[in-house]
Amino acid sequence: MMHKVQWRRGAGLAATALLGAAALAACGGGDSGDDGALKMVVWGGDLDKETYQARIDLLEAENPDITIDLQLIPSDQYEQKVQTMIAGGDGPDIMQVAENVNSYSSKSQLVPLDEYIESSGLDMEQRFGPVGDLYTYEDQTYAIPDRSGAMIVYYNKDLFDAAGLEYPTAEWTQEDAQAAMEQLTIPGEQWGYGGAGWWAQWWSFAYQNGGQIIDDSGRPAVNSPEVVAALQWANDLTHVHHVVPTAAEYADMGPDMGGDPAFAAGTVAMNTTGFWAIGGLIESDINWGIAPMWSGEQQAVSAFGSGLAVTRDSENPEQAFEAIDFLTDVEAQTVIIDKAQDVPANLEVQQSDAFLNPEWAPEGLDMGAFGESSEFIFRAPFIPEWNEMMATFDDNLGTFWNEGGDAKTELDKIQAQLESIIE
Amino acid sequence: MSNVVVDEAPGAARETRGAGRRRPKMSGRRKKEALYFWLFISPWLIGFVGFLLGPMIASVYISLTEWDSFTPPEWVGLENYSRALTEDPIFWKALGNTFYFAAISVPLGLVVGVWLANLLNKRVRGRKLFRTFIYLPTLVPLVATAMVFKMVLAPSGPFNDLLGWFGIDGPQWLLSATWIKPALIILSVWGAGGATVLLLSAMNGIPRELYEAAEIDGASPWRQFWSVTFPQITPVIFFNLIMGLIGAFQIFSQVYILAPNNNVGGPDNASQMMVTLLFQEAFSFYHFGYASAIAWLLFIVILLFTVIAFRTARKWVFYETEVR
Repeated sequence: MMHKVQWRRGAGLAATALLGAAALAACGGGDSGDDGALKMVVWGGDLDKETYQARIDLLEAENPDITIDLQLIPSDQYEQKVQTMIAGGDGPDIMQVAENVNSYSSKSQLVPLDEYIESSGLDMEQRFGPVGDLYTYEDQTYAIPDRSGAMIVYYNKDLFDAAGLEYPTAEWTQEDAQAAMEQLTIPGEQWGYGGAGWWAQWWSFAYQNGGQIIDDSGRPAVNSPEVVAALQWANDLTHVHHVVPTAAEYADMGPDMGGDPAFAAGTVAMNTTGFWAIGGLIESDINWGIAPMWSGEQQAVSAFGSGLAVTRDSENPEQAFEAIDFLTDVEAQTVIIDKAQDVPANLEVQQSDAFLNPEWAPEGLDMGAFGESSEFIFRAPFIPEWNEMMATFDDNLGTFWNEGGDAKTELDKIQAQLESIIE
Repeated sequence: MSNVVVDEAPGAARETRGAGRRRPKMSGRRKKEALYFWLFISPWLIGFVGFLLGPMIASVYISLTEWDSFTPPEWVGLENYSRALTEDPIFWKALGNTFYFAAISVPLGLVVGVWLANLLNKRVRGRKLFRTFIYLPTLVPLVATAMVFKMVLAPSGPFNDLLGWFGIDGPQWLLSATWIKPALIILSVWGAGGATVLLLSAMNGIPRELYEAAEIDGASPWRQFWSVTFPQITPVIFFNLIMGLIGAFQIFSQVYILAPNNNVGGPDNASQMMVTLLFQEAFSFYHFGYASAIAWLLFIVILLFTVIAFRTARKWVFYETEVR
């Protein structure tokens, strides 16, 4: 009798396990159907979805044999979602990649594209200029640049006029910038600059000083005098010169406040960020303009961008590459600027009238600032441990940014930690 | 049972009885009942085996490997555990932060919960309204709550204004390594209404006669609370303690949403908790093995505290049915 009950229990459990496994299998096999459609994942919001879809529509119209299912994933979940897809053997055919690209390529999750590039006759240098080899890792190309724009200076024309100052230009030095910030600041009310607490901002100063975050041999070099000076300057603008709102002052302005929204509100007179701020500024009431970044010992500025890659799960990498080739060609890239989404990576489009005089731009907006900046973009180190490197900076600089401090002390700590992270 | 025995040959070895040589008959009703049992339990069982037990067993294995979730895992034995316990300063910091949070937020939440429940149990005008208000915070989605808290706890926000009236110079809360944990505790205590509702229903279940008897004996309201109300609600307090402990050790969303400048765990890892650390290691740094080891270490910690709570429960939790 005992045994019988046990047997029944065993059988029941086995059946349950089987059913469970079947349910899991059903989940896993979900939408990677056999209809031959390519799955493409990108991050962003509504505008991004609309723009990518418009480009895909163009592609599908001209290549009837290619169909693409576009999946937009909210930016803050993108990495986790894609990681889970790939780990589950259900990776997308085409994925958007950025600074973190080499955490995938170093683990051979992306298909090297050199062969396809060669056979298609695509000239990376001609199409994308210096960013053509941005997504190479150990001499192999893992992604094709898709969007790529330098960080630029946004300035509030009315505030500059009121202070009787000339608008910023690429000829400005760090000293000129600081002098302007000081004149544009009205304590407790208005600030000259939105701040440089983000890597893209203060790293630009470091490279302007001739420093490097990761040196040419691949070792961290963050406590060099050049980098220390840059970080100290970026922080002193807030805590010594008071031309940038402190973290506390930003928090008082509202939740999730920072340079971008404060600039749009007319509270800070200058802000350094990427193309995406334009969308919000067109709607804002302020009178604004853009200029290339100022310089230090030399000119240097960071750039933001993303590329399109083919994952190892793709059943048809050839077709996926064909799609990417089309999406990064002139016709599809023009959509990016028409929709005011971003700077297209394609040089021909960047130099076209569609880019330099877009319909949506306010009169006199110097869109040439992006082209001008592209000459002195520094190459940020896209190491496989990018996320850990970012966390190391964030972890150690939290109090430093909030309360001020000594850059050398912090960077010495960071250097030691990075040395153990980067093998 | 008995008919099975009767069927057996008299000389058969007794020890093999029931070894399945014969399939004992089950009555039709019992069969049907068993079938229904498996049918109705199956949704839970499938979920449990497929989505909990399976992944749990897998994570034991993963915790003994180095795995980036893409390439095949590499066996490293107990290295992940020893690294967490001996080498990684952030692990200990996160564990300390989690203890700090749990040690204050759980008792504080219970005290506030009992206090509120006791107040709301008084016969006051508009008590239904008050009860609704107290429970309301638990219904607000956490993201919305955290947004409001970011404003309330701003350096010159309303909360610091309030402190200012009492001559206290409020700290920078979320921006300060010292004060971000107290800020998280305030956020958790704000949701004490959930416990209050349970405690209130327990208080309502206390027979009036006990209070009448106590009153006749001359017990003050204070004495009545400690000698009548409190012992009667200890089972619910105990339940809230266990749930609160488990919840506090697994704190995640609050840290994630309140993080200044999206630096989860910041500033300077002062708000880094076990689960946020685990999440970061697994999904941001691609160290699944290490993250699984942290998960199991957290499991042991929670288990330990739950066992302690259960062991000590005999001393202070009062079940009426167990009165000897």
